Amino acid sequence: MNKGLWIEGPIKKGILDFLNGLLADQKIKAVLMPAKNKGGDSYAWFLMEKNGMLDSADPAPPVMTTQGANVVSYLTKKGPVWEKTAVLLRPCEYRAVIELAKIKQVDLTNLVLISFDCPGAFPLEKYINGDPKKLDEIFDTCLEKQTELEGARNVCTICHRFSGTGADIEIGLIGGKGEGFWLVPGSRQGEELIEGVAGSKTDNLDVRENAISERTILQETKRNNMLDSFQETVMGPENLLNTLSSCINCHNCSRVCPICFCRECYFDSKALSSEADNILQRAQRKGGLRLPPDLLLFHLGRMTHMSLSCVSCGACEDACPADVPVSMLFALAGRNTQAVFEYEPGRSQDEAVPHTVFKFEELKDFETPYIKEYSKEQ
Amino acid sequence: MANNETDIKIVAFLCNWCTFTAADLAGTSRLKYAPNIRIVKVMCSSRIEPVFILKALLDGADGVLIGGCAPGDCHYSKGNFYARRKIALAKTLAESAGLDSDRIRLSWIPASEGPKFAHVVNEFTEHIKNLGYNPARREVYI
Amino acid sequence: METMIDSRMIMTDFLAALFDKLDVAAVAAMSKLPSGEKAAYTLFTDKSGLKECVPFFPAMPANAARAISKLTREEAPSKTVAVFLRPCELRALTELIKIKQASLDNLLIISYDCSGVFPFQKINLSDETKLNAYQDAVSTGKNSEGIRPVCAACTRFTPRGADIAISIVGRSADQPLVLSFPSEKGQTAAKQLGLDVSKTVEASPAVESLARERKTAEEALTEQVNESLSGAQGLVNIFDRCISCHACSYVCPICYCKNCYFDSQTFEYFPESYFTRMTAKGTLRMPVDRVLFHLGRLSHMGISCVACGMCEDVCPVNIPVSQIFKTAGSKAQAVFDYIPGENSDDPLPLLAYAENELEEFED
Repeated sequence: MNKGLWIEGPIKKGILDFLNGLLADQKIKAVLMPAKNKGGDSYAWFLMEKNGMLDSADPAPPVMTTQGANVVSYLTKKGPVWEKTAVLLRPCEYRAVIELAKIKQVDLTNLVLISFDCPGAFPLEKYINGDPKKLDEIFDTCLEKQTELEGARNVCTICHRFSGTGADIEIGLIGGKGEGFWLVPGSRQGEELIEGVAGSKTDNLDVRENAISERTILQETKRNNMLDSFQETVMGPENLLNTLSSCINCHNCSRVCPICFCRECYFDSKALSSEADNILQRAQRKGGLRLPPDLLLFHLGRMTHMSLSCVSCGACEDACPADVPVSMLFALAGRNTQAVFEYEPGRSQDEAVPHTVFKFEELKDFETPYIKEYSKEQ
Repeated sequence: MANNETDIKIVAFLCNWCTFTAADLAGTSRLKYAPNIRIVKVMCSSRIEPVFILKALLDGADGVLIGGCAPGDCHYSKGNFYARRKIALAKTLAESAGLDSDRIRLSWIPASEGPKFAHVVNEFTEHIKNLGYNPARREVYI
Repeated sequence: METMIDSRMIMTDFLAALFDKLDVAAVAAMSKLPSGEKAAYTLFTDKSGLKECVPFFPAMPANAARAISKLTREEAPSKTVAVFLRPCELRALTELIKIKQASLDNLLIISYDCSGVFPFQKINLSDETKLNAYQDAVSTGKNSEGIRPVCAACTRFTPRGADIAISIVGRSADQPLVLSFPSEKGQTAAKQLGLDVSKTVEASPAVESLARERKTAEEALTEQVNESLSGAQGLVNIFDRCISCHACSYVCPICYCKNCYFDSQTFEYFPESYFTRMTAKGTLRMPVDRVLFHLGRLSHMGISCVACGMCEDVCPVNIPVSQIFKTAGSKAQAVFDYIPGENSDDPLPLLAYAENELEEFED
């Protein structure tokens, strides 16, 4: 499916025209996408129909407020939408949607997922406390020119899955010449929706694909280098504790995390509460105990629960009130655990989350070859 | 004034034993009352949590009517005393938030008083019509 | 007012005496973290760790009532644990005890008149200038620059219900601790500590002047919040940036529910419902029930809100949550003539009633 449609002109306006066209032709019933909030100093999500499209709707906002996958989950957790609904997502939000579909927190039926080549996002706090208009301009320029976004969130600067690959419709910006964008269908559904849209057809998207591969290699190297050096600073309980020393145990990272879908988190459950004397004993063993206990267990435990599906979206760090580099910690954990299973969250709906499946012969590195040693002695 | 008065919507939470029965009586007695109310039956007025009222108001209901047994007559002996406290809380919070607590009304209507039910509904509907639409009704950003 | 005594002990002596003379099993107080910059609430079981203790460090990274709830909820300690609490933390604890989320058994509560805390992100142990300025403000009974807005407007800064109360406002830091023992438990402790009760100390006039400054600030805050809370429009404006992370409720000492009502299935809808609601306005903001969450939470905990300010500190989009909750909460409290944390014998208003009351709310 290497066909695309090049649409000349201002990008955001072009995307909105495309969506409005789909709504007008009744090819879709509604659009779920971000738009400016009322005060204009942040963004929010809106489900909009033909006559309700907001002027401030923005297919590619410069910040991530509520993670899009969470919003898609709110909409479809209880069942599929009845009519076709287009959803505009950042690539990481798209990948989170796919992960949530695997764990049945999202129903993809009738959803048209649209994603774009994302230059990153500003930290939420920086955007809100800064000058939104100026930041909007900087972002829009980067979106069009596909240059590096100055002041983006750390985790965005090392993002290696920055294109909307896999979505029903990909809005292609990388590799484009001049102002404009490609509409690239990623599924039969996407193809049908693009049909009849005015633009110049391209059968050959090699320019774009080459540009993506080139940047992917660059970003992968950057990601690995940065995570390697980050790893050095956080290795070991002492360093890890220092990194987390400002953590106030508010668990907000898990609440905004699209992957952490549990209604009642294990780390808030009865399983981890105990009698005062028990806690006193724990304190006695070391002369002291931070209250509430189990801060490190929460973070490490959360890693075991969701790092395989971590899409490095950075929502956790945006929501952290104590400036803990949570998203980097989880990007690191994710990189390392995902590598073991050669798993990439959000790559394909057909790939099962690794700990829900197994092969008979695998992961020998993690077994102690007891039987082998034993048989040698025989 | 609302531009289309029949469009005024009032959510009414009525207790099963008194006010809902009164509504039933009003109906079987062929008493006419304003068609603007949407009745939600609850077992006791104390079941009504302030959140129910706030939810109705924020989602665009123009008025909220709560009906229960007269104090001392509660089917569960003291439910409506607790209800009164909850409604007081809801009204106070609505007032603090500038949500016009006048849109919330608590009425004790015994089961045998169908005419009183019709009267309260008519009077409250008229009152809400004078207040006009709830501004939250068309607020997109809420 | 209980008699205040010059204990002739500085803080380190006092902490040691808790172990040596009162034979407590543990002391819970703020203490330095190994990083040296931040402090956290910590449980000490012997004297060795006490040198890291900074009980008065002006930061509240978490409301300690939550920690005490976690410690005592399942089962109270079998031996005495001395706990340092700020007055608002103590008030929160009193409220939690009313809803059976904590126990006072075997707790020895030490509190003090509080000069407020900085937003926890904005203070480090190494910020000497800031801490010195704060100490100056404490000893002269003034509001320190940069403390939480609700702290600057807090008029309930003297402890209620403590066993041992330390008088700080209007006194210098190097002076021996001035103590009072308002409760029976406290009186017993005073005897065990072997204090010379004849060395009484006068109340500092600085407490009065701080109370006056706070009162004025509280009135100004109330007026400001009332102005901004003006109907649907005002609510939209105030909570416009809210990303529905619900962090405010998670750190709230009063919001004890494990599964918040607003995270429950009650507020999950079928897709059709979203579409119906969209059609009514053409547009539906998602996630829905954002403003309802805040007002609803107010209806659940506003009566018990102790205005500790945690919610505002953790809000990732700088909504002045605690200022709103303090103002709206106190209005709800006034209806029932209730002051949260003031008296452990006052029943929670929604769990009690009088046959003849609140006539203005019915017809």
